[in-house]
Amino acid sequence: MLRTPRPPLIHRSPMPGLGLTMGITITMLSLVVLLPIGALLAKGASFGLGNMWDVVNRERVWAALFLSFRLSFLAACFNLVFGVILAWVLTRYRFPGRRLLDAAVDLPFALPTAVAGIALTALYAPNGAFGALAKELGVKIAYTEWGILIALIFVGLPFVTRTVQPVVEEIDREVEEASATLGASRLHTLRRVIWPMLAPAALTGFALALARAVGEYGSVIFIAGNIPLSTEIAPLLIVIQLEEFNYDAAAAIGIAMLLISFAMLLVINLIQIWSRRRIGHV
Amino acid sequence: MTAHTLLGLVPTFAPRPPRDQGAQKPRHQQETPMTTTVTITGNITAQGKTAAHQKDDRVTTVDGGRRLTGWPIALKGALSALALATLLGVAPAARAESLLNVSYDPTRELYREVNEAFAAQWQAQGNPAPGIETSHGGSGAQARAVIDGLGAQVVTLALASDIDKIAAAGKLPADWQAKRPHNSSPYTSTIVFLVREGNPKGIKDWGDLVKDGVEVVTPNPKTSGGARWNYLAAWAWAEKNGKDPKAFVGELYKHVPVLDSGARGSTTTFAQRGIGDVLLAWENEAYLALKELGEDEFDIVVPSVSVLAEPPVALVEGNITSEDQRKLAEAYLDFLYAPEGQALAFKHFYRAWDSSKANPEDVARFPKLDLVDIASFGGWAKVQPEHFGDGGIFDQIYVAK
Repeated sequence: MLRTPRPPLIHRSPMPGLGLTMGITITMLSLVVLLPIGALLAKGASFGLGNMWDVVNRERVWAALFLSFRLSFLAACFNLVFGVILAWVLTRYRFPGRRLLDAAVDLPFALPTAVAGIALTALYAPNGAFGALAKELGVKIAYTEWGILIALIFVGLPFVTRTVQPVVEEIDREVEEASATLGASRLHTLRRVIWPMLAPAALTGFALALARAVGEYGSVIFIAGNIPLSTEIAPLLIVIQLEEFNYDAAAAIGIAMLLISFAMLLVINLIQIWSRRRIGHV
Repeated sequence: MTAHTLLGLVPTFAPRPPRDQGAQKPRHQQETPMTTTVTITGNITAQGKTAAHQKDDRVTTVDGGRRLTGWPIALKGALSALALATLLGVAPAARAESLLNVSYDPTRELYREVNEAFAAQWQAQGNPAPGIETSHGGSGAQARAVIDGLGAQVVTLALASDIDKIAAAGKLPADWQAKRPHNSSPYTSTIVFLVREGNPKGIKDWGDLVKDGVEVVTPNPKTSGGARWNYLAAWAWAEKNGKDPKAFVGELYKHVPVLDSGARGSTTTFAQRGIGDVLLAWENEAYLALKELGEDEFDIVVPSVSVLAEPPVALVEGNITSEDQRKLAEAYLDFLYAPEGQALAFKHFYRAWDSSKANPEDVARFPKLDLVDIASFGGWAKVQPEHFGDGGIFDQIYVAK
């Protein structure tokens, strides 16, 4: 006579250690991320929605927010294209100095942003190496929007490359060859075979680069002219409010940036979900 | 905010001493404070609005203006300090005397020498070697750090209004500026022009700055103490020359291609990046630029009117933890007024008061000019909100057409 085993008293998750890891994860996430953001929102809440709107709804603040998000978006777009190409080249081709180049991609992560900012300014100022060249052509780079854009591209580049690289490694050459034997042109292969596989990672990298650029202060502040209404970035406005001991206004601008960033990341996530559904693989 | 508070806790950490178990008479222990009160020895204090007092057990006594010495009571503060100390591997070190001087940007070179000279003098008087540290940064940011808990015993900032802010936070009495001679300013300075060698644009006075094609480099008055003096000097000139000061200053800032956040940043932009034709600079900063970057590259132009900038010094009562420390801090500030200290100020291109021990060359270098002081603008309490406050006159310059 067969006896069915008694069901266990406590239902255990099939994944060992789930409770512990979840606990640790949530605790860490709360301490590191949710707590500061909560404090920011609490500061804003005590200030009042109407007051916050008054602080944000000014020409100068709008100009700074628009500048920050516009240039961050452009920088992230540039990084999306250039980062994917870089990832492809670094994984697919073998050439001397490849490892060195691969390591150099991480430099923007490692370098203190102020150092990067000063170095870029020295290079792109009218008396710098590149700045002098640009001056010959009648272009000013440092202390204009171009300078800000270059700094933002610099800090955001590794995000796209590093997220796309592992995916490129996973793609077998046979897939391209199969596509070719079935009569697809190179462009067609790229568009219908390669890109769908890269897209989710590339979009993630794009979102990361965008988020990083929006909040970037250290490197931009040296190369931006910081002129109100033309080259003043939103994080600088926050610092200015702090200099005036105006914590509430600083929190208000911070929350405005947070909301816009959140909306942008949400849209990117939606695009990602949509593209996954359409292409039909993870 | 937290970063500064943390910084304030870092330098040294002395553990709470063992309590005297025998004679323990909790006298005023009615209310244990809810607001955090952390006062640790060494030079660390983190503030809170609490008044828990019992003299013999050495517990913190803090209120709006005054703070008596004590040990940390609030669990939160003590714990975080402990956690920080372990985290950063800061060994408990109790130095006999230590002092933190929180200063502004262009005084680095001055205080490096002052600290050395003062330490030597202090030791010569039979005291143990003092540990004097100086921190530099934008004047406003430095003031904020002190308000947020950076344990400075002495502040030497660019503007009286910055120290006023610290006083408003309850760390020193409101009448601090009357405590020392010359509005508590051991040295003064003024604003001059630094131009490129040979003065190619022919800049002589403030009026020349708004000519076509002239680019002026000055920091942002919102973030830099020195920049406010620049702005006021331009204002004073316009007033004296029958121009509308508001329009003139507005016009002037249209000629500014880069607004750095601090005076040092502007000097770098002008001198090393080659931006602009004129740098509005502290006189001491201009001379320093000549000395450091080459006399054959720049010229100093002294305008007809400028401001008398009085960078004040003060003792931060709230951060004094012992009588010995108070003595050291007082002596340090007195030294700035003593002939030796004054000589150093002259040497570092400040206009000091007492030239008896100064090198005559250092004194003779300063040209005479018409100097307007802050009182003639109505004092910082009036100027700060009117010109540099949120929506003030400076903000009105940058309005899109």
